[in-house]
Amino acid sequence: MSALLEVRGVSVAFGGVHALRDVSLDVRAGEVLSIVGPNGAGKTTLFNVVSGVRRPHAGSARFDGRELVGMPLHRVARLGIARTYQVVRPFHRLSVVDNVAVAALERERTRTAARRFAREVVASVGLERFADMEASALTLTQRKRLELARALALRPRLILLDEVMAGLTPTEMDEMAEFVLGLRSRGIAAVAGIEHVMRLVMRVSDRIVVLDAGAKIAEGSPAEVMDDPRVIEAYLGAPLSAV
Amino acid sequence: MSLRAALGIALFAAVVATLAVTGPFLSGYWLAVAYQTLLAIGLAYGWNVISGYAGYFSFGQITFFGIGAYTTALIASHTSLDWRIAALAGGALAVAVAAPAGAIMLRLRGPFFSLGMLGLAQTLRVVAASSGFTGGGTGLYLTATVTPLAVYEWTLAVAALAFAATVAVDRSAFGLRLRALREDEQVAGTLGIAVTGAKVRAFLISAAIPGLLGGGYAMYLTLVDPPSAFSTRLELQAIVMTVFGGIGTLWGPLVGGVVMSQISEQLWARFPQAYLMIFGGLLVVFLIVVPRGVVPAIASRRRGGSRSARASGAPAAAAGAEP
Repeated sequence: MSALLEVRGVSVAFGGVHALRDVSLDVRAGEVLSIVGPNGAGKTTLFNVVSGVRRPHAGSARFDGRELVGMPLHRVARLGIARTYQVVRPFHRLSVVDNVAVAALERERTRTAARRFAREVVASVGLERFADMEASALTLTQRKRLELARALALRPRLILLDEVMAGLTPTEMDEMAEFVLGLRSRGIAAVAGIEHVMRLVMRVSDRIVVLDAGAKIAEGSPAEVMDDPRVIEAYLGAPLSAV
Repeated sequence: MSLRAALGIALFAAVVATLAVTGPFLSGYWLAVAYQTLLAIGLAYGWNVISGYAGYFSFGQITFFGIGAYTTALIASHTSLDWRIAALAGGALAVAVAAPAGAIMLRLRGPFFSLGMLGLAQTLRVVAASSGFTGGGTGLYLTATVTPLAVYEWTLAVAALAFAATVAVDRSAFGLRLRALREDEQVAGTLGIAVTGAKVRAFLISAAIPGLLGGGYAMYLTLVDPPSAFSTRLELQAIVMTVFGGIGTLWGPLVGGVVMSQISEQLWARFPQAYLMIFGGLLVVFLIVVPRGVVPAIASRRRGGSRSARASGAPAAAAGAEP
């Protein structure tokens, strides 16, 4: 079965720093792939390449057979790739509903229809009480939900979730894990960037890719990856026996 | 909703018809005041689409007013066409120039766009001042006599069109796209908005309106020269009125236009020496008291006190950012 997203040999450098070195990976339709790695490992850069925000110096990213490199942002979005940002970026002066309606405009055409659909999506992430408030009134947790609602409103086939767990309380992390699992049950593939919440990574992921200093150092099922000595070293430091 | 829309259209038509019918009964002075006010409101509505809704704060939309004025003057002085056809041609040429100019200028962001547009206006002003066909610094004198009343009616029609266009923007998917890209262009793109196309279309609307108004101004003055066609005063007036009334709102340019021109007129009549100083001082006070403009301030008060804190934006955002 060919993959929904095929990333091949992607490299990005900022000055002399290699943010990504020759990274290749596949995302299959409907699976949850977690990209795990410490801060600065290149997770956000990878999301930027796939969503069209950053052009890589080498390599390709194909979605459903179409090359994403060089494609304008809105065309990537219309192909069915949604993303959230690590630092949440709501449209502050728009209402919560309108924030979401923006993402629904391409399919719904009229503002009225987009708002109607947006209300359903807003309710589905538990923000219905805040629907008509300006987004600037939301707390950080609510803003994260708003990011998810906007991504869902695109009706994507793939969602890129950048640092989904960052800044959340343990309870909220569990809710987020349920949300990610909910995506899978609806057939939406998800790539989740996660820094260090291994308990949840193990729970939600079909497969895991581990990045370290811009390079892929491991890939496989959660069990395989957790037993990989290179992962243990990159993540936890040298094995205990060596201490 | 449809009843409200019908009532709105009826009210709009009634206001425009009243203004059109009263024109012939106005004395010379009041006709001049009414014309200047409508001109300012029309320019403010034109400016508000690109600068208010799309957030590209332009210091140079007067460029298109100048193009409209010169085109009309040239056609009127070389042919026997009705001046209104010439003015329409001026609007068309303004849009034709705005398409490539917008595609280039809108690559600039924030203050660079503002200054770039200022540069565009100044460049055309210098071109007009140094070219033969525009009459150089002396400009073009028009012999054709057009009554001020005819110009007033033309300007009323264009201002009404500008208002109607703003209603269409304000209520539509297009307007929502513009507001989204105003807030965050990259995020708007990742949500599927074709950002460049939307910006350029907004820019064309904001060029067509001043382009159509310019011809009337030339006929009103029976003269076009660089300072009147690329008038810094008219440009700033449109900006100040819109910011005062409420930038990026449907009613802001109208409220700002009516209030500001009345204040300006009264001050000028009573304190001819200190008028500009008082006017500037009032503006500073207004900007401190209602930074987002009069219309949003009233709207948030009507919605209840809970929203008034948010009207100033920054404090609420800062509070919300705490985890």
